[in-house]
Amino acid sequence: MRDVVIIGCGMTKFARPLPGSLMDIASEASLKAIEDAGASDRDFDAVYFASMACGEFTHQAAVATALVDELGLIPAAAHRIENGPAAGATAIREAFLGIASGMYDLVLVTGAEKMSTVPSEVATDIISTMTHHEAEYIHGVTLPGLGAMLTRLYMARYGLTEDQLAAVAVKNHENGSKNPYAQLSHKKATIAGVKDSVMVADPLRLYHVCPVSDGAASLVLCSAEKAREFSSKAIKIAGLGQATDTHAVQEREDPMVLKAVQIAARQAFKMARLKPKDIDVAELHDAFEILEIVESEDAGFFPKGKGGKAAEEGKTALDGEIAINPSGGLKARGHALGATGAAQVVELVWQLRGEAGERQVKGAKNAFALNFGGFGDNAVVTILRRTK
Amino acid sequence: MPEKEKKMIGFKCKKCDRINYPKRTRCLSCKGMEFEEVELGKECELVTYTQIYNPPAGYKGDPPLMLGMVKFPNGVLGMGQLAIDHPKDLKLGAKLRPIWGMLREIGGKEVFGFKFELAKKSKT
Repeated sequence: MRDVVIIGCGMTKFARPLPGSLMDIASEASLKAIEDAGASDRDFDAVYFASMACGEFTHQAAVATALVDELGLIPAAAHRIENGPAAGATAIREAFLGIASGMYDLVLVTGAEKMSTVPSEVATDIISTMTHHEAEYIHGVTLPGLGAMLTRLYMARYGLTEDQLAAVAVKNHENGSKNPYAQLSHKKATIAGVKDSVMVADPLRLYHVCPVSDGAASLVLCSAEKAREFSSKAIKIAGLGQATDTHAVQEREDPMVLKAVQIAARQAFKMARLKPKDIDVAELHDAFEILEIVESEDAGFFPKGKGGKAAEEGKTALDGEIAINPSGGLKARGHALGATGAAQVVELVWQLRGEAGERQVKGAKNAFALNFGGFGDNAVVTILRRTK
Repeated sequence: MPEKEKKMIGFKCKKCDRINYPKRTRCLSCKGMEFEEVELGKECELVTYTQIYNPPAGYKGDPPLMLGMVKFPNGVLGMGQLAIDHPKDLKLGAKLRPIWGMLREIGGKEVFGFKFELAKKSKT
């Protein structure tokens, strides 16, 4: 397998609504990444477009073909990747495999979603279609509903307190306030404010739940040998992992364990020859703040049941043991489904290049991204390393 | 079958005895493809729950939508709406029983399935 590096990245601001069509925002992020890579005059071998539900939100299909046309990159191979909210990281993984195999040299990955096109309850329904159709979806299950049921179980078993849960939201809003691309960059949060916010799915309140977002994020991937022709800022994709779990949450041996996350993380650490303690900065999939806690445990950063306390003690802050969600995470940067996994990796590339401004994690060398689909039924881990 | 007699059914693998619920083509434990239909149980207990204040389009009731995960005596878990009048009756471990009813609309069509109500109704 050939080494694969990221040589360019870019994104739009996440917002609701973000002006422009799906193709406008996808193009904006793509051009930023291409320019960042110093590849504006280059042809690409392939373009991967990650979107969970462009058909449902914007009545468009075959969006990868459309993007290649839009960007003047014909005849590049074009693929749309749909893998629930894990589409972004999955597209990066597919691009990696294409380059590592020797099939491709230069690949563009763009994740984009425009969710503001429909009313909230319709967006909720579209997102819910990824749950098990007969066992979950037809009953009116929503993703916040699943997050809420997990939170209640976890509080009963591990004694997670409301203050600990709120601490994750406060930290992510604090980080997001330092990120000009974050949807909620203008909103800070306090423990009391989180605990007093409106109930969404009890015990989850507004400040425990990610917003509905529009946004796009892009990366240019290239073989390590070809990267010498481009910028000197290349960041290596050192490890990848992906695993699945039962589609219906109720069928898991223990609903409080995200087994797919455990397996995907283990695979990625093995490939990168790293351990959880080697990671300086991580972007986790905190669609609901309980998930950041459980994921931080199942990825191996904290023992089971201790993730909430770790957040409360500041261990996951920008200057903590491991900085988690310096971008603000899904909570404050926003969660534009297909764009999210790409945006996580864009943030980590900036962190490893030392370009993250006020939210820079000092001296970051190894970074970890977890993007997942469904309610933990399809987890994708990407480990990045600064080699210079 | 009269609606009162509808039973919640699981699919017991003839090779390894695992009760698969929901139904799937191959057994999750052993890939077996032959199943025997078994009743999950007339009573179950509440494992966790929530009240959803922003239900999805297609849900026709008034918010909040009460939803719970239940466990049957054979260990099988299910999920469904809770037909419970008073939030005070929402307690972990509450004894429930499945009842058949309209769940929501999908694509403009009513969809039916099992909900759960208190095995013993509380006095109001």
